[in-house]
Amino acid sequence: MIDALLHALPLVFAPMNILAMFIGLIAGLIVGCLPGLTVVTGLAVLIPLTFGLDPMFALGMMAGMYNGGSYGGAIPAILMRVPGTPASVATVLDGYKMTQKGQAAYALQVALLSGVIGSVLSSISLILLSPPLVSFSLMFGPIEYFWLGILGLATVSSLLGDDLPKGLIACGIGLLIGAVGQDISNGTERFTFGQLDLLDGFSAIVLLTGLFAVPPVLQIIEEAVKTGMSGDKLKLHRQGSALSQWRFFTPVWIRSSIIGIIIGILPGAGGSMSSFLAYNEAKRVARHPETFGHGNPEGVAASECGNGADNAASLIPALALGIPGSGVAAVILGGLLVHGLRPGPQLFREHPDIVYGFMLQFLVTSFLLAIVGGLAATRIFGQVLRLPRIVLAPVILLFVTVGVYSVNNSLFDLWVLLGVGLIGYVLERLDYPSAPIVLGLLLGPMIESQLRLALTISGGKTTALLSTPIAVTLALLSAAILLAPAWRMWRERGKTPVIEGAESR
Amino acid sequence: MKPLSIVAALGTALLLTAAGAPARADYPDKPIEMIVAFAPGGGTDVAARSIARYMEKYLGPGARIGVVNKPGAGGEIGWTSVAQGKADGYTIGFINAPAINALVVEGKTKFKMSDFQPVANLVYDPGVLVVPKNSPYSSLKDLVDAAKKASGAVVIGTSGASGSSEHIALLNFQRLADTKFTPAFFGGTAPVRQAVLGGHVPAATMNLSEALQIAREGTIKVIGVMSAERSSYLPDAPTFREGGYDVVVGASRGIAAPKGIPADVIAKLEKAIDQALKDPEYLDAAKKAEIPLQYLASSDFKTFLDRASTDLQATWKATPWK
Repeated sequence: MIDALLHALPLVFAPMNILAMFIGLIAGLIVGCLPGLTVVTGLAVLIPLTFGLDPMFALGMMAGMYNGGSYGGAIPAILMRVPGTPASVATVLDGYKMTQKGQAAYALQVALLSGVIGSVLSSISLILLSPPLVSFSLMFGPIEYFWLGILGLATVSSLLGDDLPKGLIACGIGLLIGAVGQDISNGTERFTFGQLDLLDGFSAIVLLTGLFAVPPVLQIIEEAVKTGMSGDKLKLHRQGSALSQWRFFTPVWIRSSIIGIIIGILPGAGGSMSSFLAYNEAKRVARHPETFGHGNPEGVAASECGNGADNAASLIPALALGIPGSGVAAVILGGLLVHGLRPGPQLFREHPDIVYGFMLQFLVTSFLLAIVGGLAATRIFGQVLRLPRIVLAPVILLFVTVGVYSVNNSLFDLWVLLGVGLIGYVLERLDYPSAPIVLGLLLGPMIESQLRLALTISGGKTTALLSTPIAVTLALLSAAILLAPAWRMWRERGKTPVIEGAESR
Repeated sequence: MKPLSIVAALGTALLLTAAGAPARADYPDKPIEMIVAFAPGGGTDVAARSIARYMEKYLGPGARIGVVNKPGAGGEIGWTSVAQGKADGYTIGFINAPAINALVVEGKTKFKMSDFQPVANLVYDPGVLVVPKNSPYSSLKDLVDAAKKASGAVVIGTSGASGSSEHIALLNFQRLADTKFTPAFFGGTAPVRQAVLGGHVPAATMNLSEALQIAREGTIKVIGVMSAERSSYLPDAPTFREGGYDVVVGASRGIAAPKGIPADVIAKLEKAIDQALKDPEYLDAAKKAEIPLQYLASSDFKTFLDRASTDLQATWKATPWK
C-alpha cells in the first residue's frame, strides 16, 4: 500500500491534476451553496464531459466537487438559514443563530475548519481501512437498517426544543408526509389523490428547501415592512479564530468524525443522518445542552464535521465492493466505470496507482478546501450579508426557485415549495421546531421499508428483529437516547431546586 | 417552449463546441430536447448524456441536444411528456421497456404505446438471478426444489418495486416452474446487492450489468441469465432457457419521439444514433463501462416493443402484479 501511495504521489501533484482539483472544488462550492442544486447534479453533468480525459484529471475534479459541495452547503445555511444541501440542515440550527448574534464570520470559520477536519480524517480512513471496513458494512441487512433508522429517529428527543408536545407533533407531521406515495411492496397509492406527481411521494429536497428557505424570506419581508431595512447584526468583522480554540473543539471533532465515518461506510444512510447524529451526540455530552439551538458553535462544528467525515468514507463500500454508500458515491461509481475502473477488490490490485491516487486526491482536496474556502469563499460569500435584507429576500427566493425547478424540471415542485414554505412559516410563528419534521420525513420511509423487508425475509417472525448482536446494540442505544432526557430530569429533581429561568442565558 | 433547466442549459453550454449554430434551413436548426424520465446520475441519464454528445457530432454542425431530466412515478412523468410533446423532432426521449409497457398494461397511464414513434434502441441489459457464493443453491433447479418443498419459503430480493421488470420476470419464472417464491422489494440496486453479498437474502434478481463486477470476483454466483443466449460479458453463466425455463426479460433503453414526426427526421435521428454507436471513442467508453449495447433500428425497435406489450398482457391476465 505504501508503495502504491508513493507511486500515486507524482500523479496527484501533476500540475494539470492540481488544476482539476481546484476546478472541481470551486464547482462544488457553487452547486453546494445553491439550494436545490446538489453535488449529485453537478457530478452527473460533469462525468460525461470527462470521457476523453485522463482518469486522474477526471477523478480529481470529482473528489474536489464532493469535498467542495459538502462545505458549500453550510454557507447559505449559516448566512441565510437556507441549507444548501440536505446534509447542512443541522448546521442551520446553531449556525443561523450565530449569524443573528453577529458571529457570521466565526460560524463560517468553525464550519469550514470542522468540515475540513472531518473530511481529512475520512480520507485517511478511506486510505487505511477500505478492505477491513467493507466486511463490517456487509453485516448490515434490513434488520440492522431498521434499527439504524430508529436510532436516527430517537435523536429527535434532543431536537424537540423547549416544548415537548410541539416537537412530537412536528415529528408526526414529518412521518405523515413521508408516508405519501406508492408503497413499493404492493403498489398501493397513499394520499396521492390520483396525482401522478405524488406517486413517488414528496421530493425530500423540495420539502427541505420549502421548509427552511421560504419562511426566513417571508420573515425578512415582514420585518422590512414593519421596521424598514436593518443591517445592524450583519457585520462581518473579525471574531475570534476557530483554529486557536482547537482544544475546545477537539472532542466534538473526534466524536463527530467517528460518527460520520461509520454512517458513511453504511450504504444508504447518507450525509444528513451523519450530521444529525453528530449534532445529537455533541448536545448529549455537552455540559450545557440547553445552549444548543441558540447559537452554540459546537453545534455547527458537530454537524459540519459529521457531514465532512461522511464524504470519503461513503466511497469505501463503493470502491471495495461496488456498492455506493450515497447518491454522490453512486454517481462517482458511474464515473469510475466510464474510465474502465471496475470497483471491487481487484481494483486495488489492477490499478493501485489510480485508486490510491483518487484517495489521495480526497485528502488533498480537503486541504485545498481549507485554503480556497478560508481565503476566498468565506470572504466572498460573507459579503452577501452586507446586502440590505430587503434586497436579500428576493435573491434568496430566486435562487431557491431556480434550484428547486432544476431538481425534477417540474412546475408541481414549485407549488409544493410555495405551499410548504407557507405552512413552514405558520409553524414557525407558532413555535413548532422544523428539525423533527425533517427527521420524520427522511427516516419514516426508511424505517418502514426496512421493517417490511426484515419481516418478509424472516417469514413474519418479529423475534428476528433482535436476532443479531448489531440489532440488539442499536436497539439499546436508541432506548438510551430516548430515555436520557427523562433520566436527567428525574435525577435533577432530587437536587436543590433550581428556580425556573435563573440559569438561562 | 419550456425553459431548459439549468442542468440542461449548463450541459448544453459546456457541450457546445466552437462557433454557434449556423442558420440552417433543415433539421436540426434549434436545440433538441432529450427527455430522461429518471434522475441525473442514473443508468438511463448517463446513457443519454453520453450518446447525446456523439449524436450532436453526427447530426451535423451546430446540432445541440439538451438532456432534460423529468423523473418521477417510475418514469411515467417523463414518458408522458415525451408522448405529449410536439412531433417536430425537437422533443425526443428515452423509453425503457418493459417498464413502460408494464405501466400501459396496468391501464392507468395517459399515453398508449402507439403514442410513441420508436427511433432506435441502444441498450439491452438482461435480468439475472444471483445467489451468495456460499449458497446451498447452485442452479435454478435447486432453488425450484427448495421452493416446492415449502411454498413461499424461498425469498428472492428484487431491486425494483412491485410491477418492475424483475418482479414480472419472477412471476413468469414461478408460473413456468409451478411453484411460489416470496419477493422482497428493495427498491434499488445498491441495497439488494448489499443484501445478497451479506447473505441477508438467499437469492436476488438484478440486471446483468449490475451483477458483472461482483460475479467476476466470485462473491456471488449467477445461476440464470434471462436472455436467449449467454452473454459475452459473462460466458460461464447459464441462461434460464438452458435450465428449462423460457424466461427472457431484460431492461432496454431506446430513443423514441412523439408519434407523427416526419419520416425524414426519424431517418436522420436513426442514422445519427447508428453512427454515434459506431464511433470508436464512444465504443471504447461503452466497452470500458461494460454497457450492453444493442442497436435496433426504428422498425426492429417497434417489433421489439410490440412483443414486450403482448407478453405483458398475457402475464397481467394470469397474475396481475398490482
